[in-house]
Amino acid sequence: MKKIPYLLFSVMIWSLFACKKEEKNIDAAKKDGLSLSPKDSMVSPEIHKDLYGLYVGDFMPAEQDDDTYNEPAVKISLKIHRITRDSVYGHSIVKGKQRLFRGIYKDNSQTFILDEPGDDFTDGRFEFKLKDDSLKGNWTAFTPAKVRSPKKKLRLVKKDFMYSPNYMIQENTELVDWENPKIFKEKFIDPDTGKEESYDVDKMRVASEAVFKINASKQKLTEKDIKNLRKLDLQIIKNTIYARHGYAFKKQTYRNFFDTTDWYIPVAEDVSKELTSVEKENITLLDRFIKYAEDKYDTFGR
Amino acid sequence: MLGKSYLKQSLHLLWMLGFVYFFGLMLNITLEYIPFSREASFLMIKQTEVYTHKEYVYIFYTHVYTSIFVLIAGFFALYKNAFPKSWHKIFGYIYVFGILIFAAPSGGYMGIHANGGWVGITSFLLLSILWWLFTYFALTSILKKNIKQHRHWMWRSYALTLSAITLRAWKVILVYLFQPAPMDLYQIIAWLGWLPNLIFIELYIQNKKQ
Repeated sequence: MKKIPYLLFSVMIWSLFACKKEEKNIDAAKKDGLSLSPKDSMVSPEIHKDLYGLYVGDFMPAEQDDDTYNEPAVKISLKIHRITRDSVYGHSIVKGKQRLFRGIYKDNSQTFILDEPGDDFTDGRFEFKLKDDSLKGNWTAFTPAKVRSPKKKLRLVKKDFMYSPNYMIQENTELVDWENPKIFKEKFIDPDTGKEESYDVDKMRVASEAVFKINASKQKLTEKDIKNLRKLDLQIIKNTIYARHGYAFKKQTYRNFFDTTDWYIPVAEDVSKELTSVEKENITLLDRFIKYAEDKYDTFGR
Repeated sequence: MLGKSYLKQSLHLLWMLGFVYFFGLMLNITLEYIPFSREASFLMIKQTEVYTHKEYVYIFYTHVYTSIFVLIAGFFALYKNAFPKSWHKIFGYIYVFGILIFAAPSGGYMGIHANGGWVGITSFLLLSILWWLFTYFALTSILKKNIKQHRHWMWRSYALTLSAITLRAWKVILVYLFQPAPMDLYQIIAWLGWLPNLIFIELYIQNKKQ
């Protein structure tokens, strides 16, 4: 007992010579872009330029039996780039995924038939009827067996996408992140057997009111402004910048927060070129705090 | 009597094992600051200070690099009889001058810029002042050959040294239980990190005196 500290000392000196430094790998974040220019039919004249633009609305299963699982509606935006006598070009964005489509427009019946490329199992055909400013119709999967609901209905309204630094996440947005639960074990004594049992409890992250107040597109934020925020707050404040630019979120978490916000229209898979210098600076700052929150918040450290 | 000494021995062993474990964690944290970087770890949220006060980052590193030696030297100095005669003095000098010249003054400076507003600032400033004073009294009492007093002051000083560990341990516990906002948490652990340590050691000393 008495010699233990001496032993410890020897071990420490010995390990000084034995220890090697670990190398840390930092994953470089990669972003993929997709170019969108229609390659063919450039020569045929364009008709109906008035119909070009963005159509936004909900995308939901066509028939929902009471006993089937209710699939929630998701936001879809559809952009028509070009209409010629024999072709229509455009792309759709659903759940952060952009798909090109090509099809036809029938002038007499005012209907669109638009096909996605077909090399993805989530591809299908849109059929719309144009009425005033809205498109009403449905979508049928090419491979019905592989998707949860092979037939979906849509009602889209023509909207203009506009960036504004003043946009804020809608005040009545539910600030719970349902996608990333933390699992806790709770224990209890089973009254019948007298044995200790445990069960899992999911705890959801909840954002604070700060996400309604702090705008990272308007002015340069300081460390002081964001120091007392949890990771989710920081993430939402950062991603509100991207939402303003119409970034199509890949992560369900952010779609949940922004899909219910009126002004939010997913229009692009990459908006990094659109960011203002204030926004870029704030993203750098927020990223640093997000990383710090990730590495340090719940660990032994400061 | 036998039972009591067993309890004492196992408590003592537990303390030593605990120290080794937490010292390992502290060493790990220190290694995050090698090589020198202006954005390492804690400095990630201290860029305002790093940019507005040129000296901050150097004083910060002084604290980080010296405190780890203070922590381990102090631990070994607790066990005078476990080592060859002159070693206690060596550990002691590393500990005392490590604190008086480097760790405590740099800690005080960082305290002025502490997170958590005035609550954090008062706590860390007070901590560094007491830390310096207790260590200083420990030094003067041994120079006067007053071993008993020297020991008590050292215990007080080392209780504050250990706040490096207890503060971080409280943090883990409080986050697990309550998930408070980061700076609310910081204000709590700023005080919880060292005040209970001091109370505990004071009670222990009073107990020994009787």
